[in-house]
Amino acid sequence: MTTKDLDFKADTALAKEFLSNFADANGEAKYLNILQDVANHKTKAVQIDLEDLINYKDLDEEFLRRVTENTRRYIGIFSNAVDELMPESTEAFTDDDHDILMTQRSDEGGEGVDGFDPLQKMPPEIKRYYELYIKASSKGRPFTIREVKASNIGQLVRISGIVTRCSDVKPLMKVAVYTCEDCGFEIYQEVTARVFMPLFECPSKRCDTNRRKGNVILQLRASKFLRFQEAKIQELADHVPKGHIPRTMTVHLRGELTRKVAPGDVVEFSGIFLPIPYTGFRAMRAGLVADTYLEAMSVTHFKRKYEEYELRGDEEEQIARLAEDGDIYNKLSRSLAPEIFGHDDIKKALLLLLVGAPHRTLKDGMKIRGDLHICLMGDPGVAKSQLLKHIINVAPRGVYTTGRGSSGVGLTAAVQKDPVTNEMVLEGGALVLADMGICAIDEFDKMDESDRTAIHEVMEQQTVSIAKAGITTSLNARTAVLAAANPAWGRYDLRRTPAENINLPHALLSRFDLLWLILDRADMDNDLEMARHVVYVHQNKECPALGFTPLEPSVLRAYISAARRLSPSVPRELEEYIATAYSSIRQEEARSNAPHSYTTVRTLLSILRISAALARLRFSETVAQSDVDEALRLMQMSKFSLYSDDRQKSGLDAISDIYSILRDEAARGNRVDVSYAHALNWISRKGYSEAQLKECLEEYAALNVWQIHPHTFDIRFIDA
Amino acid sequence: MVGPQYDFLSNPLGAVRSTFDTAVASGTDPSSLEGRDWGALPLFRHFLFDQSRISQVPLLTPTTIRFVRPNTLVRFRGMIQDMPGNEFYVGAYKDGSMWRTNKFMDVLQYPNCSSADTRIWERRLLYCVPVPGLSPWTEVSAEEFGNLSMDWMSDSREKRRRDDESSYMPVSCDEVQDSPNTKRMREGEHSSAASHSSEAATDIASSTTSLGYEIGSNSPPCIVKIYDSPESEMKLNDIFEFVGILTSDPELQEDNEDSDLSDGFSEDTLRHFPPNQVPRLHCFIHRKLGIQDFLQNNHTVEPKPDLVKGLREALLRHLTTILGNDDVTSHFMLLHLLSKVHARDNGLAVGKLSLNLTCFRKETVSVYGKQLTLVLKKLLPFTFCIPLTVEYLNTVSLAPKKNYDTNRLETGVLQLAEGSHLIVDETKLEAGTLNSVGVENCRLLKNLMELQEVEYDFKYYKMDMKTDAQLLVLSEGKSNILPADVIVPFQPSTLSYSEAVTPEVLEAWRWYLATVRQLTHSIEPEMQKVVERDLVAARQADRSLGPEDLSRLLTMGRLMSLSYGESSLSLEHWQMVKELERLRKQRLQ
Repeated sequence: MTTKDLDFKADTALAKEFLSNFADANGEAKYLNILQDVANHKTKAVQIDLEDLINYKDLDEEFLRRVTENTRRYIGIFSNAVDELMPESTEAFTDDDHDILMTQRSDEGGEGVDGFDPLQKMPPEIKRYYELYIKASSKGRPFTIREVKASNIGQLVRISGIVTRCSDVKPLMKVAVYTCEDCGFEIYQEVTARVFMPLFECPSKRCDTNRRKGNVILQLRASKFLRFQEAKIQELADHVPKGHIPRTMTVHLRGELTRKVAPGDVVEFSGIFLPIPYTGFRAMRAGLVADTYLEAMSVTHFKRKYEEYELRGDEEEQIARLAEDGDIYNKLSRSLAPEIFGHDDIKKALLLLLVGAPHRTLKDGMKIRGDLHICLMGDPGVAKSQLLKHIINVAPRGVYTTGRGSSGVGLTAAVQKDPVTNEMVLEGGALVLADMGICAIDEFDKMDESDRTAIHEVMEQQTVSIAKAGITTSLNARTAVLAAANPAWGRYDLRRTPAENINLPHALLSRFDLLWLILDRADMDNDLEMARHVVYVHQNKECPALGFTPLEPSVLRAYISAARRLSPSVPRELEEYIATAYSSIRQEEARSNAPHSYTTVRTLLSILRISAALARLRFSETVAQSDVDEALRLMQMSKFSLYSDDRQKSGLDAISDIYSILRDEAARGNRVDVSYAHALNWISRKGYSEAQLKECLEEYAALNVWQIHPHTFDIRFIDA
Repeated sequence: MVGPQYDFLSNPLGAVRSTFDTAVASGTDPSSLEGRDWGALPLFRHFLFDQSRISQVPLLTPTTIRFVRPNTLVRFRGMIQDMPGNEFYVGAYKDGSMWRTNKFMDVLQYPNCSSADTRIWERRLLYCVPVPGLSPWTEVSAEEFGNLSMDWMSDSREKRRRDDESSYMPVSCDEVQDSPNTKRMREGEHSSAASHSSEAATDIASSTTSLGYEIGSNSPPCIVKIYDSPESEMKLNDIFEFVGILTSDPELQEDNEDSDLSDGFSEDTLRHFPPNQVPRLHCFIHRKLGIQDFLQNNHTVEPKPDLVKGLREALLRHLTTILGNDDVTSHFMLLHLLSKVHARDNGLAVGKLSLNLTCFRKETVSVYGKQLTLVLKKLLPFTFCIPLTVEYLNTVSLAPKKNYDTNRLETGVLQLAEGSHLIVDETKLEAGTLNSVGVENCRLLKNLMELQEVEYDFKYYKMDMKTDAQLLVLSEGKSNILPADVIVPFQPSTLSYSEAVTPEVLEAWRWYLATVRQLTHSIEPEMQKVVERDLVAARQADRSLGPEDLSRLLTMGRLMSLSYGESSLSLEHWQMVKELERLRKQRLQ
């Protein structure tokens, strides 16, 4: 034992050295500053971050290991070190009971008549005005409750979980102080367990020599108490293996850590995993079973916002690797709901919804939203709801609701009367709860008209205004709305006009950046694909291979959160390009006699938003022309099913349509040469594929309408 | 070889201790023995399986629990209902200079040892209950199963066993009494079972909702302590047979008065399981049980096509008479009884075939429904019947729910073992208002129907648990609360009457149902083409067919060929499925 004692003395010296010498990033003596605050009664908690110990220049690896594996002991050691280092207070503060008692005690200490009496010696604990915590390093992944094993007993561990129960905060006796009726001495008894056996006889030397059984009285005012709270945490749903039940663990919170958690909080505790010493009668028999608890050292609440998303060690690397990879746009979008077949462009749009564009606040205080709103409209059974649910899962903050299940009040905010205090209370609805996140509204078409109007304000102004029952206020609802709706008659009726089918007011429709029509067509290929899939599943008892490995949702989340930190701007030279594109859409609309959409200034903003989101995905600070082209393509594709219909009506097949597009564009620019890249740009904006372009090029080259450059595929029109 | 100083049945701890001593004596560091075996398990495995002594280990039932002494070897069959978590115990400690172990024990033998000389190990706790909805015939079989396997042994073995019995004092006394005793017991059980089963249909609503299952009416629940086996091996709702040491130390029945201090924050996870009602079992060996394990004579007979075909015809005939000569319905019923979830495709359960028999009225249910329930109870090991009423929906707790006050998972009606059969009788449902519980319950039933998943309520979040249950809905019109895969209007032409069936025939049918549904199945490439073509044609003809319908047709094809004991889909069977589907469509019109 003596060697061990020596060890601890040496470690106290080490601890002292660390506390006085450690300098943080700014070169300040972090811990000495804290101690000064403690001395000035400004703070009570001294938190020693193991991260600092790791970063400490004269780090002794062995010492660090000892601290993590025998933490409880080292709290004592560090406390001793702090006691020795405690500076004088530099500021005046009013004495409270504790200080007065302390001064009295130190006065009395001098006139000790009976010499050394261990029981009369004040335990250091009672003098301490601070609480010392050792916080585990936040590097690496925290344990799940399941992973904490018997070998972790006594060690400092980090555990994540959800708080399920909390007890009331109660005082816990730390040092019991008695006075003896006979000799008048103060007797101290340190309490380490939750239960203790009070003293009944004075153990002091004087009473002992006088052979008197001095009656002791517990002095509650002089004793030291600590706030104490018990909590239960449970494993998070995604940490529980399939077919198992979440485990629970008891957590003890003391002093400053009490009242930090409430049931339902998702938290990360760092603490010491300890067995509960049984006391008294129970220890005799049930000594076999040792229950355990976590002595909390720090509490961290989990963040559920992109902005506060902290990247873990390897994630940063992964993102860097992904960003270098050129195909990130496709890769990420395919990893959204990988089990849903096809719908590539919709997934791309949804990815952009997750990424969003930066919010802009103009000088005059006007705000332009950055959130993208998307509406998916389509026949039943095209996996709209599944897409919605998946997006909510990927988003760090998302609310899923159905139009039927929520009234206007349920979506925005409600004023309610508190049954106890009779006060009016404001309660946020789904859209307010999804602030800085995504709100998915299924069955959008089945909503009452009056409820739907409540969404108008949210979608453009991003606030919810309330003027009810004497409360006039406006709540933030900076949320991206993802809506899913069925066409007016349940299924899309091709014989009617698109406007009749969509059946949503234009004021609302124009607020969606993208309105996607997904039609379920009687298509032999699709049916065969579906039949094959079903047969495959039955045959092989698994889904067909995807042909690629989708990225984990956590990686997606990390990438998106990294992308969201950028706020790309539109360079001057692109302004012209966007303006032309916008005006040409307007022109086209004016020319057609049955327009499918109204292009408004909102459309222009949408183009900018989508382009900015695309630039963010590339980790670029400026929007490139390719981003704008892709934005225009997406807008075109969203109505593709309708246009393809039109074309059939007008008798033009894809090939001749491509030809007319190219011819018109060339004529507008008064050119005879068209580069392949430009041609591809133009036709993809109209929703055609590269293969179709190639086919068109070949066909018309054979007719000697144009010449194709054999290598670059550039086009030269032959003037007749 | 095994020394004579301990007897496996009456003193299993002796084997544990002596192997531990040998291991330590041979220089193994006791602290390195954490989480692994030191040679005790192979001894038991050898004793139980190689020497086929497993039948001598008494099975824990309400009757045997009175005979079995603590600290002896017992068997227990049950479903894992809850997982209270881990328990830490002093695994090894130094007694003087000798290391000793506490593994497989509840109470510390010599509690006065310093902390330096103890090693804390951990073990897992499982709260097991008798399989819910267990049919009476399985219980009898469980005991006979043991004896039967004994009979297979040679006569000389048999003789030796008799001789040996004198040394197995505590066990042999009930083994000797076994023959007259079990007979009596069995009769008693039969009579009680008969009344039980008729009650069960109506009682199930209320009785299973309470915490735990009625102790005494069935075999008791049991806390099983598992050592050193990977966590992934045992899942919630799995059925296991455990062999281990029974401990129910009366001393542990302490009054937990001192924990009143903690105001409900009990440190002892087990305080809600009083040892006098819930025995503890320290498990040596466990094995997962399937439906076949509940059969009386566990044939290892090859399912030969002609044998299977004969059984199929007989069973189908029987079902047809029960169902009043409705041939189409009985065909669907047979397929339904063979269904089993065999794969999951992004949330969809593949292989399930829930059946909704419509055109039932209150009067017809009392005739056909009752007969059907009785027959299914005789054929299947785990069956339930839920009479759906508004009041029932509003009050019952269908999904298991975590109670944070007691730190227990309170079971619900829908906590089912794999392969359970559930009859939902919707004919009793009348117009009424559902409260929030009722709405939630409807959603749960619908989810179970569509996805074969039950949401367990953990208050702060819900967890989907995969379930595999066969669901049969009896209703007047098409049930909208419970959207079944197949809707068949029931059209009986005669009255239902049940023919007398000999126990042997019943047993053969049970074997048929249990075995055939386990067979593997595949579709040959040529057949695949035919099926694909047919599916596409069907979808072209009727746009309302979704992937679920195509999947259902394939499932029916699979079940049809399985019902003939064949492992690949033939054109003939596919045609039968299409014909069956056509007949059903005709009825729906």
